[in-house]
Amino acid sequence: MSRPAEPPATETILIVDDEPQIRRVLRNALEPLFARVVEAATASAAIDMAAAERPGLVILDLGLPDRPGVEVCGEIRQWSTVPILVLSARHADHEKVGLLDAGADDYLTKPFSTSELVARVRALLRRAHVAPVGGATQVIEMDGLTIDLAKPMAKRDGITIHLTKTEWDVLRTMLRHAGRTLTHQQLFRAVWGNSFGDMQQYLRVHVRSLRRKLERDPVRPQLIRTEPGVGYRFETDP
Amino acid sequence: MTARVVREWLLWLAALAIVTAALLSMRARLNEAHVALAFLLVVQLGAARGGRWLGFLLAALAFLSMDVLFLPPYGTLAIRDPLDLLVLAAFLVSSLVAAQLLYLARRAAQVGERAQYLMESHRAKDAVLAGVSHDIRTPLTTIKGLAQSLARDGDDRAEVIEEEADRLITFVGKLLDLSRVTSGTAAPDIQLNEVEDLLGAVAQRVAGRLGDRELVFHLESGEPLLIGRFDFAETLRALANLVENAARFGPAARPIELRVRRMGVMLEIAVHDEGPGVPAEERERIFDAFYRPARSQPDAGGVGLGLSIARGIARAQGGELTLVAGAGAGCTFLMTLPAVSVEELARMGDGSS
Repeated sequence: MSRPAEPPATETILIVDDEPQIRRVLRNALEPLFARVVEAATASAAIDMAAAERPGLVILDLGLPDRPGVEVCGEIRQWSTVPILVLSARHADHEKVGLLDAGADDYLTKPFSTSELVARVRALLRRAHVAPVGGATQVIEMDGLTIDLAKPMAKRDGITIHLTKTEWDVLRTMLRHAGRTLTHQQLFRAVWGNSFGDMQQYLRVHVRSLRRKLERDPVRPQLIRTEPGVGYRFETDP
Repeated sequence: MTARVVREWLLWLAALAIVTAALLSMRARLNEAHVALAFLLVVQLGAARGGRWLGFLLAALAFLSMDVLFLPPYGTLAIRDPLDLLVLAAFLVSSLVAAQLLYLARRAAQVGERAQYLMESHRAKDAVLAGVSHDIRTPLTTIKGLAQSLARDGDDRAEVIEEEADRLITFVGKLLDLSRVTSGTAAPDIQLNEVEDLLGAVAQRVAGRLGDRELVFHLESGEPLLIGRFDFAETLRALANLVENAARFGPAARPIELRVRRMGVMLEIAVHDEGPGVPAEERERIFDAFYRPARSQPDAGGVGLGLSIARGIARAQGGELTLVAGAGAGCTFLMTLPAVSVEELARMGDGSS
């Protein structure tokens, strides 16, 4: 995938956390790298500021005193596509699934390292500035693999790889959201249009054959990563 | 019998006597139906308040007084009209059945209350755990984050602060895992999963934590699909624990091997290292929470929770985790998980083969 330019450092980042110490850590880590950092301590303040400040990214803590984080996520999503990075002190998988389904783009479990945080923020901002994959001329090249979604055509080291229609659909969905974890439900809906039967089993079968065809070592996948208990992610920087 | 129960019984016997006396005073104006309904009311209320046996006693007494006092000829057990016998029998049966039904309903309500109570206390415990987790992780996040920014400014003491914060973070995480696994409050999310997928996730999870040790996979080649019924995320946690253990005790630059095969209805995942191994007398004890081998160095990392968590996870999904006494050096942990056969998959219409 062509390497996009670094995002402009003019972005405003909105930090939402009720703990002043955490806001300070976040500000400390992000302020030297990005233009402006604004803070909110409650869900209602967060929603107001997301509307007023038009931030380029929202970092949202789940343990807010006034409303559940999932609701804040859903509310912002109703009128904005701003990337949302969720912070959670718990690591329940079903919670992650709920958040991603509600429109969060990524999540970090506390305690996180600031370098990890900065990397996630950069990746989210970069993605927000790149036109979504899947346009008429979109060709992806990485690690000896060429994928042309328009034709559609895939080659590994010059040798054509044959994919079924469903495999193309799954691959196209993953590439359109490359770098982002898609829940089983999101992937399934995008490919099959609804959710019925045993989604995870359908997906497992098709992801398995995609890995067989695309990965150098399907047992150690570098492109299609499994997010345990959550879904799959197409890695843009394997 | 407690005093409260005795009082209850006496009260209802008195009530029966009063009703009998009242009915007797207007016997001339009453027919059998009036009497039967009045007695039935006393029997049912008594059974509802005082239980099944009080209900039976009241039913028997009411039966007798109805026969002797209200069905002619009065004063004897004998009955003139054969139809009265039917009335008596119907009365006896319906009052006994009512007493029994009321008793069962009361029992069911009590069981329901207890189940509700248990569920509520489980929920409360989960909430406390989540709260504790949040309360501990939040300050640790601050400590870690500020230590990192100090380290960036060139203070190498800050790195020690960060490392120690990480140790605490790991410890807290393991304590919470152990509590979750052993209390059985969180039911595992059991799905059909491929072992291959699991191994890929293990490699991803432990990447960068094995030093110069290689992680080698051996998948039984005769089996087209190694598919099991297990909770992917939990099993991943258990296996990553085992692999990290192997890295901790195994010699540097020697591979850690993961071997998978199907044995009957189970999948076997073996994690092997070439470390010093575990003496026979400790093979079971190492699975106890907080157990540390006598000879282990005080700072071998870890607090002796990883294995009990991993075993708890294996057992919660119908598997097992054991240490195999093998020939030669090293140590092999064997985790079993319920397997799914290809035929079974085909029957389910999976279509993956």
